Amino acid sequence: MNAKQLTAKDFITIGIFTAIWFVVEFAFGMLGYIHPYIVASYVVMLPLAGAIPMMLFYTKVEKFGMITIMSILIAIIMFVTGMGYLGAPLCIAAGLAADLIAKSGGYKSFKKTVLSYGVFCLWICANYFPVIITAESYRRGLVEAGFSAEYAESLFRAINTRTIGVLLIVCFVFGCIGAYLGKAAVKKHFEKAGIV
Amino acid sequence: MKRVRLDPRTKLYMILVVSSIVMMSATTPLLWAVRLAVTAIPLALLVVEKRYASALRFSVLYAVALLLSFRFLSEESTGVFQSLLTGYCGIVVQFMPAFITAWYVVRTTKIGEFMSAMQRMRVPDGIAISLAVVMRFFPTIKEEYAAISDAMRMRGISLGGGSAVKMVEYRMIPLLFSCVNIGDELSAAAITRGLGGKGKRTSVEILRLQVFDWLLIAAFTAAAGFFVVFKYVL
Repeated sequence: MNAKQLTAKDFITIGIFTAIWFVVEFAFGMLGYIHPYIVASYVVMLPLAGAIPMMLFYTKVEKFGMITIMSILIAIIMFVTGMGYLGAPLCIAAGLAADLIAKSGGYKSFKKTVLSYGVFCLWICANYFPVIITAESYRRGLVEAGFSAEYAESLFRAINTRTIGVLLIVCFVFGCIGAYLGKAAVKKHFEKAGIV
Repeated sequence: MKRVRLDPRTKLYMILVVSSIVMMSATTPLLWAVRLAVTAIPLALLVVEKRYASALRFSVLYAVALLLSFRFLSEESTGVFQSLLTGYCGIVVQFMPAFITAWYVVRTTKIGEFMSAMQRMRVPDGIAISLAVVMRFFPTIKEEYAAISDAMRMRGISLGGGSAVKMVEYRMIPLLFSCVNIGDELSAAAITRGLGGKGKRTSVEILRLQVFDWLLIAAFTAAAGFFVVFKYVL
């Protein structure tokens, strides 16, 4: 079999790390219902919290396609859990770009891994897409679903076409910071234990 | 009663329809009725599968949240308690239908059936296998997490010394350790059974869409069509 081809073992690794990453995201995502500014701060929290599992995942990535498949899975799960399909293209594009960046470093270069994780984190902003693109109907939907007008107002103050650029940059920056922290955690715990 | 065995493809279609309907906001009582009907079907299916406890739990949760959000919450609600309540109801009302359906599918689909259905729909192996692992892995994560919490409580470090970073670290690192190990075992087990081999895989599960499947597919298609027509056309 071609050494470049993905094997069943790789697919299982992808599945496991996607599940972990999703659980982390879900746990933090629930906080967003308390206040909309927390929704905006996902771009800080999620890259940091997700960094440890992802850095462990990166140590297992050696072939092209694993990160892309992960992003496809995330897009599917997002759809199933009712977060919409508008973000899916961005999500998969971020995954593909992250994969290509990591590939250019041969999946070994730490610098490329940092960049790649930063790009990968951009999928988090995909969650905001329904808020921006369908702003008016989304707002109506929120209010009708029982959210207060205050919540809706703050949500749109925090997330709109003007702030999305900032959010994307913040997301990328914290992705890179997260990568360093995650790498340190992986080194501290896993490399010493000989797991990686 | 004869056990109703649904084809996994019907179940996947169900997920697709329910999450699409959940995404579009219901604005009139009629649309709410459609949404409720769509939620009731997986609940009824849970009862048919003799999962009474989860069916009851879901119904109560959903009913309470609906009642609260309709009776007590409105555009003018303010204050901390109100916003917490809004948050809770918002999550439940918004995601419960999709969650119930997903729960039903995950709990009642055997992995063999799922893989066989994916193969029949010509989904690439990579996505099918990974998705199957994700599906099976959530309960495992929950178990492992419970075990870790127990161990931490026994040693009296469950709050991680009050530091948020420590709290995350103390939980996540052991969890990752066990998940990585379980993953290795899982791949060993799967490969011995021929996963990833070159030949075409056969399955003991013979999938066939039966009358009941067609009925459900028709019902869900009708519900989705109804919803779209009444929301956007009329």
